[in-house]
This record gives sequence, structure tokens and C-alpha cells, in this order.
Amino acid sequence: MARDLAIDLGTANTLVYMKGRGIVLNEPSVIALNRQTGEVLATGREAWQMIGRTPGYIVAVRPLRGGAITDFEITERMIRLLLQRVGVSRFTRPKVVICVPSAITEVERRAVTDAARRAGAADAQLIEQPMAAAIGADLPIDEPVGNMVIDIGGGTSETAVISLGGIVALEAVRVGSFDIDAAIQAYVRREHGIAIGERTAEEVKVAIGSADPADDENQAEVRGRDLMSGLPKTVVLTPEEIRLAIDDVISSITSSVVRCLSKAPPELAQDFLVRGMYLVGGGGLLRGLAQRIERETQVPVKMSTMPLEAVVMGAGHCIEHYDALKNMFMGARR
Amino acid sequence: MTVTIAIVAVALIIAIVVIAYVRRPRQDAGVTSFRRHIDALSPESRRAVMDRVRPSYEPDADVDSQETTD
Repeated sequence: MARDLAIDLGTANTLVYMKGRGIVLNEPSVIALNRQTGEVLATGREAWQMIGRTPGYIVAVRPLRGGAITDFEITERMIRLLLQRVGVSRFTRPKVVICVPSAITEVERRAVTDAARRAGAADAQLIEQPMAAAIGADLPIDEPVGNMVIDIGGGTSETAVISLGGIVALEAVRVGSFDIDAAIQAYVRREHGIAIGERTAEEVKVAIGSADPADDENQAEVRGRDLMSGLPKTVVLTPEEIRLAIDDVISSITSSVVRCLSKAPPELAQDFLVRGMYLVGGGGLLRGLAQRIERETQVPVKMSTMPLEAVVMGAGHCIEHYDALKNMFMGARR
Repeated sequence: MTVTIAIVAVALIIAIVVIAYVRRPRQDAGVTSFRRHIDALSPESRRAVMDRVRPSYEPDADVDSQETTD
């Protein structure tokens, strides 16, 4: 009998929690395929290392964008391989809880559950990421108080107000860390005339990217291809430049937080001033983002202790208490 | 004949009453279900998952720290 699983099927990373065991897999949501035969060559970390560095016959892709499946067949194969890696076979079909962005459509939802079932799950239930994040971030959501969680992922940013085990207000935008990377790529191309890859843009973001000025800031050397000459070229980027490049994306995220705050009932809104908002997700690790949101909303922002794992931990809790919490699953409420 | 019809009618009424009684929504079903739901979300209930993940799980420093998650 297979152990039931909780899956955080993210645009950037996929994490798997196994009932009774904990997190058993944390890999980039990337798959590498032979373009000619369609054969899977690598998944996860190995495939991630191939992005932008493959010969013509290999393609390394992220089959999810904005938290939704863009290529059903590839996603199904990726999930099947990931499940195989955690011990799922055709004879052991576990129940699966999958975290998805709240903003995805009914069709996109069905694509995720179908992909999981066809990949070997006996039953697939969905849970909204901000709800799972609030459970995983250990917020007191069982109490009649306002808990606010901001989940910034690779392709989506979601803000939710949660009280008494349910979502009171929710705001989601299909903007996330990958949009920050894309904004950096576009800026470097436009202002410096060089082309850089997705991974280089991400490295720049991690090295000097910030949403608000800080005291200890450094510059970064970036190597790319000169658009005019076609030759390799190095340029130096400053944190101010990166802030300018990513400002539209950051503004979009902060505006969504403000909209969610304005939707919250007044009784709960006063709780946020005392308790603060909690930031989870990889995008929340961007330097100065908490301060920027705090400055624009006048509400304290705190970082969750395990921002990258909070969502899968919350879903893991749901799989541990499946019967008691099945009302939280997306199909159960609609 | 009349007696048979009367017995069948009484049996039918009893069956309908029993089914209606069994299928009626229990007054406290919502309360019990909600209580169970809230109890399952309590910090004590969540402790097992937190304790299971925190000591055993350490993300890789090289790749995961640079990757974002959804």
C-alpha cells in the first residue's frame, strides 16, 4: 500500500511530502526531452542544469507557467517520473493532495488532477496555495483572528486573509519570480545591448536584486552575448539598475497585497496591525521585498521560518488529516 | 385481501418513517464536523508535521537556494 502524498507542483520547484515521513523530494519543475524521439532524458535538478545549454535535439522545458500546465503530456510524464522516484508504481496508487494557485481556471484545475491520476494517483485533490502556506507557516488559522499570508512563487503571487480555517479574502496575480528574471533580461538587452539567459538573470537577481535600497549593496559583473557584434561581452550592473528594471513587477505584487487588505473585513483588518503579514515562497526571499510591502501598506511584514517549504508542509498536514480537512479541498467547496 | 392491503400500507408507512428518521440531517452534524475541522488545524495537531520536516529536511545550498518555488 502506497503512502499518500502531498505535492507542491510549482512553476519553479516541485516538492513532495510523504505521509508519515516528511519531505521526500525537492526538485526544479524541469524536464529534458529528446526533440526527435520524445524520450525523457532528465528531470528535476539534472534537467534544470541543461536549461539554455542544450544541443539542438534536446529541449529542457518547464511544463508549468503561472502555476498552470502549459503542456499536459509533458507535465504528466514529469509527475509520473517524480512519483516513481518516491516509490509509486502501478500497483501502489496513493491518494494525492496537490497545491495549485487559487487563480487557475476550472480547465487548468482539471488538467492538474487528470495529469496526477494518469501519472499513478488513485485520487487527486487540490488545495489553494495560500491556504496550504498558512497551515505550513504555522499561523493560528484555527482561531477567529485575521491571518494574512503572501505567497510569492515562480509564476504567481497570492495574498489571502484566513480566519477560522477558511479564506476570507483573496487576491492573486500571475506575476512571480520568473517575471522578475524576465524583467532583468529585458533591461540588460535594452540598456546594455547584450543578451543573457534565464539562469544568468536569476543569478543577477539573487546576487544584487532588491526591492528596496539597503546599506550593504554590491555591483555584479554579467556576461552575455553582444547583440551588435555577436561576441561575448561583460557589463557591470548596479542594484539601482536592477530595482529600476523590476519595479513594474514589484509594484504589481504590492498592489495586489493592498487590494487584498482593502477586501478584508474591518474586524480582521485591525488584527494585521498587531500580528503582521507573513511572507512565504521563493519570491519572498528577494532582498528588501518585505520592507517595500511594509512601507506601502503600513502593516508589519514577517518572513516565514521555512518559506520554500511552507506550502508543501501545509498540504502535508492535509494529507495527514485527510478526512477532517477534506472540506478545504477545492472541489469540496464548489 | 383488505387485511393484506392494510398490513402492506402499515409496513410502507413504517418504512417511510424509518427512512425519514435515518436520513434527517442531525442537528449537531455541522457542529461536529466544524469542530473536527478546526481541531485538525490547531497548532498541537500541526506539530507532528512541523517536527517531522524541520529536523530531517535541509535544502541543498547550491541549487535550491538559487531556485524559487511556487
